[in-house]
Amino acid sequence: MQNSQEFSKAEKFWMNFKLYQLWRFVVLNLKILAAVYQSKRS
Amino acid sequence: MAKVVVIGAGFAGHTAALYLGSRLGKKHEITVISNRDVFGYVPSWVWVGVGHMKPENTIFKLKPVYDKMNVKFVHAAAKEIHPDDGDQYVLGEEVGSSKEVRLDYDYLVIAPGPLLNFAGTPGLGPENGFTHSICSLPHAIKARDAYLALCDRMQKGEKVKIVIGTGHPGATCQGAAFEYIVNVHKDLVKKGLRDKADILWLSNEPAMGDFGVNGVQVKRNGHVMKSQEFLTSVFNDHGIRYQVQSGVTKIEEGKIHWQNYEGDEGTTDFDFSMLIPQFKGQPFKYIAKDGTDITSKLTNPAGFVLVDGKYGLPYPELAQTPEAWPARYQNPTYKNVFAAGIAFAPPGPISKPFTNKNNLLIAPAPPRTGMVSGVIGRVVALNIADLIEKGEMTHSEPMTEMVAACIASMGDSLWDGNAVTIVMQPVVPDRKKYPNEFGRDLFTSHLEMGVSGAWMKFMLHHTFIWKFKALPGWTIIPE
Ligand SMILES: Cc1cc2nc3c(=O)[nH]c(=O)nc-3n(C[C@H](O)[C@H](O)[C@H](O)COP(=O)(O)OP(=O)(O)OC[C@H]3O[C@@H](n4cnc5c(N)ncnc54)[C@H](O)[C@@H]3O)c2cc1C
Repeated sequence: MQNSQEFSKAEKFWMNFKLYQLWRFVVLNLKILAAVYQSKRS
Repeated sequence: MAKVVVIGAGFAGHTAALYLGSRLGKKHEITVISNRDVFGYVPSWVWVGVGHMKPENTIFKLKPVYDKMNVKFVHAAAKEIHPDDGDQYVLGEEVGSSKEVRLDYDYLVIAPGPLLNFAGTPGLGPENGFTHSICSLPHAIKARDAYLALCDRMQKGEKVKIVIGTGHPGATCQGAAFEYIVNVHKDLVKKGLRDKADILWLSNEPAMGDFGVNGVQVKRNGHVMKSQEFLTSVFNDHGIRYQVQSGVTKIEEGKIHWQNYEGDEGTTDFDFSMLIPQFKGQPFKYIAKDGTDITSKLTNPAGFVLVDGKYGLPYPELAQTPEAWPARYQNPTYKNVFAAGIAFAPPGPISKPFTNKNNLLIAPAPPRTGMVSGVIGRVVALNIADLIEKGEMTHSEPMTEMVAACIASMGDSLWDGNAVTIVMQPVVPDRKKYPNEFGRDLFTSHLEMGVSGAWMKFMLHHTFIWKFKALPGWTIIPE
């Protein structure tokens, strides 16, 4: 964040750049699944 | 043959019923009693409330699923629980006929979700008040109709005031209200009406982005980023005004009364408002064998069921005592009674409570989200199966060890929609295990915004409805 209270132009660009977001989609799914299976799942 | 009764078929009760059915359904009697004959996928009611999803796409009939899973379904509202040894049963009233139904049990799962306590704030709510809610499907439909009527007024050039947030100093579920406010913003932008609306976030949170969980903190590029900064940026970016540390005390037509931390009393005008009410436990009567009312033995004053937590610790002590949080959700007096989802009594708040100089307690209650409710439903079901099959429980999962992922929708479009993806590990800070200021694993915890979040939210809607319909592979989809 530019000054912690506003998103910078670059941040906004990446938030909408579909190819990058496709990568984030894969990473986020893996991250959530990893977190779920690492956390106590008795 | 053991008899297990589950009250409620939401995230917690339905998850419990599916696991109970698959583990025990063929040999034992599993019964679900629910006042609705459909499962409601609550998170998508945010989209119903702005007219972006048809209500029927968020529900499905329960009976065919239960038939498949060897679970009996009773379409009735539970009203009394008789927990004493030897004669343990639930009394309910059949929906449609008002006929009394009696369900005997050996094990009971209480999972009826919250009582939406609109009465706790005079003038609140869509039935007897002036504000809207998206906490039930009929409410979301009503909110949608009022919102679309408001859009018509804006089309004609009228400028309006929209207020969204919490409608009680002790309300929870800020996440749902956050999703609604940004979805309203996005919808108005799409309709070309955003300049006609002044939008205000009014909340009881101690700080922006608190969400009743003391905020979310993540480590990024060596520094700690907080949800407070992140959410403030989102609102600044969207031109949404915000007012936190405020407890709503009363609503009049077009006017919200509130008090803040300083004890100042103020009012805010509105043309359309969606405010989340206080949640209470469902008002069941618990009756002893001799007919006496023992409700206070089983529930806390708000009606939530007491389980294996340590109750009564003052906040500073509770914040340092992760083991105070329940792990098995089992009532300490009646060991065959369990509570899952919003129905169980948490030992206290996660966010720091505040009492202002007028003695008004402004304290968001801890959220028991869909994921948390589902996990608890599974733990309770597996423990009941253990007790029946092996005589002892082997599962435990306190919220201090539970991860929660939450995708806060900010527009449903798969092209230019958006969402904040939040991962919290654990939900309730454990300052012993994670000796940092926040009591969380700052590496696993995550906060990110982008169109990929909108794809995740869309995917979750379909994946979870798949799971809740018990379609092939449902057990490998985590709660
Ligand atoms: C608009 C909105 C959006 C949300 N979005 C998210 C999200 O994105 N992610 C997330 O994790 N959480 C989300 N939540 C929170 C989540 O929906 C709840 O945490 C979850 O529904 C709680 O599950 P539950 O089973 O305890 O209660 P519920 O889901 O409310 O289920 C309770 C069930 O019991 C039934 N019942 C009630 N009274 C009786 C009775 N007397 N007899 C028999 N049955 C009864 C009810 O009809 C209902 O079916 C959202 C909540 C709202 C309101």
